[in-house]
Amino acid sequence: MADEDEVKEYRWESGYEKTWEALKEDDDGLLESNVAELMARAKRKRAALKATGAIQLGMMRHLFVVVDASECMFLQDLKPTRFLCVLKLLELFVHEFFDLNPISQLGIMTTKMKRSEQITVLAGNQKKHLEALQKLKDLSCEGEPSLQNSLERAMNGLKNMPAHSSREVVVLFGSLTTCDPGDIQKTIKSLRENNIRVSIIGLAAEVRICREIAKKTGGSYNVLIDDHHLKELILNQVQPPAVAGSMEASLVKMGFPGGTSSANDGTSGSSADHAPAYCLCHIENETSSLMGNNGYNCPQCGSRYCELPVECKQCGLTLVSAPHLARSYHHLFPIKPFIERVQTSETTHCFACAKLFIEADTNVYECETCNQIMCLDCDLFIRETLHTCPGCASDPFTAQMKTN
Amino acid sequence: MLELKRALDAKGHCLLEMPSGTGKTTTLLSLIVAYMKAHPHDLTKLVYCSRTVPEIEKVMEELRKLMNYYEKEMGMEQNILGLALSSRKNLCIHPSVSKEREGKVVDGRCYGLTASFVRARHAADDAVPICQFYEGFDAHGKEFPLSPGVYNLDDLKEYGQMKGWCPYFLARYTITHANIVVYSYHYLLDPKIAEVVSKEISKTSVVVFDEAHNIDNVCIDSMSVKITKRLLDKCSNSIQILETTISNMKENDSKRLEKEYKRLVEGLRDASIARETDMALVNPVLPSEILEEAVPGTIRTAEHFVAFVKRVVEYIKTRLRVQHVVQESPAGFLRDIHTKVCIDRKPLRFTAERLASLIRTLEISDLTDFSPLVTVSHFATLVSTYTKGFTIIIEPFEDRAPTVPNPILYFSCLDSSIAIKPVFNRFETVVITSGTLSPLDMYPKILDFHPVIMTSFTMTLARPCILPMIVSKGNDQVAMSSRYETREDTAVIRNYGNLLVEIAAAVPDGIVCFFTSYLYLETIVSSWYDQGIIDQLQRHKLLFIETQDAAETSLALINYIKACDNGRGAVLLSVARGKVSEGVDFDHHLGRAVLMFGIPYVYTQSRILRARLEYLRDQFQIKENDFLTFDAMRHAAQCLGRCMRGKTDYGIMVLADKRFSRADKRSKLPKWIQEHLKDTNCNLSTEECVQISKRWLRQMAQPFSREDQLGISLLTIEQLQSEEMQKKIQQRAQAV
Repeated sequence: MADEDEVKEYRWESGYEKTWEALKEDDDGLLESNVAELMARAKRKRAALKATGAIQLGMMRHLFVVVDASECMFLQDLKPTRFLCVLKLLELFVHEFFDLNPISQLGIMTTKMKRSEQITVLAGNQKKHLEALQKLKDLSCEGEPSLQNSLERAMNGLKNMPAHSSREVVVLFGSLTTCDPGDIQKTIKSLRENNIRVSIIGLAAEVRICREIAKKTGGSYNVLIDDHHLKELILNQVQPPAVAGSMEASLVKMGFPGGTSSANDGTSGSSADHAPAYCLCHIENETSSLMGNNGYNCPQCGSRYCELPVECKQCGLTLVSAPHLARSYHHLFPIKPFIERVQTSETTHCFACAKLFIEADTNVYECETCNQIMCLDCDLFIRETLHTCPGCASDPFTAQMKTN
Repeated sequence: MLELKRALDAKGHCLLEMPSGTGKTTTLLSLIVAYMKAHPHDLTKLVYCSRTVPEIEKVMEELRKLMNYYEKEMGMEQNILGLALSSRKNLCIHPSVSKEREGKVVDGRCYGLTASFVRARHAADDAVPICQFYEGFDAHGKEFPLSPGVYNLDDLKEYGQMKGWCPYFLARYTITHANIVVYSYHYLLDPKIAEVVSKEISKTSVVVFDEAHNIDNVCIDSMSVKITKRLLDKCSNSIQILETTISNMKENDSKRLEKEYKRLVEGLRDASIARETDMALVNPVLPSEILEEAVPGTIRTAEHFVAFVKRVVEYIKTRLRVQHVVQESPAGFLRDIHTKVCIDRKPLRFTAERLASLIRTLEISDLTDFSPLVTVSHFATLVSTYTKGFTIIIEPFEDRAPTVPNPILYFSCLDSSIAIKPVFNRFETVVITSGTLSPLDMYPKILDFHPVIMTSFTMTLARPCILPMIVSKGNDQVAMSSRYETREDTAVIRNYGNLLVEIAAAVPDGIVCFFTSYLYLETIVSSWYDQGIIDQLQRHKLLFIETQDAAETSLALINYIKACDNGRGAVLLSVARGKVSEGVDFDHHLGRAVLMFGIPYVYTQSRILRARLEYLRDQFQIKENDFLTFDAMRHAAQCLGRCMRGKTDYGIMVLADKRFSRADKRSKLPKWIQEHLKDTNCNLSTEECVQISKRWLRQMAQPFSREDQLGISLLTIEQLQSEEMQKKIQQRAQAV
């Protein structure tokens, strides 16, 4: 933050922001209906994007997030600076990511001064990433970024990951230029060969090479409009992507460590379950303390962890708990998108929240299977959080169908 | 299309301005082809003139697409023959001749292999080399016309290879019965070439000049002659060669010379007979009345003629020996030449013809050496033929280097209508079109014709894909201008530099900058270097500079494209009116922004320009200032148009000069640019400009799909037929 103070601009020195220009008056000179419409459309669009129907989704994801830390990340068009804004959103992203993809792994890299730097290795431990992100905030941004170097490094990290997982890179790219040591086309080619999907979020303007990389590797390329849009774009990456082409299906060995809640229980298990032990995720830290009896033991080698999901450091077994898997499970059966209908007088209230429809709700949404009518907010809630239709669930017949 | 149809119906000329990338070529081709099909008697041929070989190829591609579509829809082969023609250099398939790089050399060598006397000699003696492709064509090609279809240059070559026929002569021969001919301006405008190539094109053709914003200059160039001292020295050499050949021939074969003499006495050349029977292009170099006269006696014999030419050359040499600038009219020149070396006007007029005849008689097969002499002969003919609309300027040295004596004689055409007049008179419909023709009313004036239709079209766009801005001041509020008084001002130069640096930081990929002249570019770059602006710039993007050297420039261009392609980003500094501003397209990422530093006025001190301005004022009542502004603005528009090459493209256009915001300049921009140039964007400072571009770039980067365009700039058949749309089109048609 020290650097931050030195280059601080006064408010009147910074750029003009014409926030009012996004708003337009409607025919009556009113703003409200317009704003509501805008919001509804945006929400719906986002939902529609996700509701891609029943395609195979990559549940085990290995994802590298590359953050541009070049000079231009100090620009203040995102508040307080681009870099800090991005980091803050990334924290949210990491959180959401592990929430929705519990059996996936994440790594963070930065690129500056024509080099790339690995901040965290691929790991399933949320805390570690968040800590690293906190530390990054003090990093000074300088020099030019290098797309090629960071992609190469990410590729080296991802290359050896099992073939049944989806390999992805997400680049948050603020700069308009990249300083590369060689021919980036070759890198793109080998990325394709390795089945790595690169998605790029641009912070300033459309850069052609980014579009090309994203297009050729099957990822997406987006440029933000403002910070809200950026948040949306980053969070869009949380949803697992559809499986790209030639991913092989295979069985994955997993461990389900039994939770040992109290030491005094003393009725079951081996001695290893009860002995006080260092938690393996914190053992490298100097401040690590002997942890209590609360923890999870790897069923294969018996190492202890304070948190799940995690990959066992000793034997490499993926340790998850059953609810984690269940949470991922819904990705396999996404609910079908609801059909948009014009609201008529027959439909008086939302089935889910029992809200009475008013005139402002022009559109209502109908579930294909149970034919129940929902309001827009419920539609989004079901899609994003609930992952199951209350109409279908409450109908014994359809509920039966689904579980079978 | 509607407008074009009206013009065709009215059998008049028309002037259309359409933004580039909106399907100009396709529209023209499809309507004219359809018209040709509907009224096969009124309209027999389309002559499409474009500027460069790549452009010709593009037209051919469009035509091919159209023909395929016809075939698909109509379900049968179309009886239309389309054909591209270019110089021998581009069409030659002779194994050794085609290796030559320079057009003139190819022409010369080709002539050396295909001239009738060479072939006659070959018949007698097998050792004399000839071109087997030409022989093949001559033997069989004329009997079997090309089957209908579309042939571009490569197709012609392939066809030629296959049949063993010379593609060049095949194409030239086929012009007469092809339905669509695509070639360069010069084949129609340059009287020297037009006579050979285009004279057999029938009267009921439609002529289209594409990218015609510079058509007046092309006309003028084709009629102007520039003679330097070196050229004259070369002339003397070739005269010597002529002399020796003549004396040789006299000893060996004096009969031939006699025969020539007799033919000249009869006066009429064989070509002129053909000319009278057909309503052919009237050669402005040689007005038809001359053809009816016999070649004057003084230059009928070969020796006399050579001596005559020698006198002319010597005379010009003495004229070049001046210490101060001389400007005179052709009439004055003629009087002077008469009094000093006793040369009449009449024999002068015949110089070009006589020289051609002599060379033919002498059987000189290598024409390349004689090109200086040919230039002088053209000059002699032109100067004696035209007394109006031309001027002679003799400069003892160049303006830039007053100490180095480098005398040049300019014989300059002032009236662009002279060269194009026969075209307008002969063909019923001439279409002049380009992306940037504004202001439209100037062209009829300077080309001296009366168009029935004169329209400027705008683009219908789903999003505002161009962002023109006029930046008039820097962050320090110092006005930016390339005005003569302020151009050396460091504050102005620094502001220009800052503008470029800030734009470079905000705009991705490629940026193209245009300066008013090479001189100005150099001074600015050197002072930017001192001010450290170059260093700042290179932190963001690589820097490339156009120079007057064509090879260097094309190397810079290649690397510029490379830098844009792999994401490094680049800035190209170039000059309005230079090679880059005319022929090169910067579509999509290659030109996300165009900066125009200053208004590209022509070099007003040039005497040729002054003479032309005076002439325009006297003859056409065009004020000097109007013409200068017109010329500057059309070049500015041309530069700006470089970055827009289609509806999905987008680009920023920055006009960095305070003077652009004045109404007289602004209103001269093409309509499709003006439409997007809001009042609020007309008087910006650097910072405001950068802010606006940043926001705009983000908007433009949002996904843009086909669906977004549907119904606005892209119509399905149903939408097109819907009543609402029809109304809209009607309205639009009335509005323009």
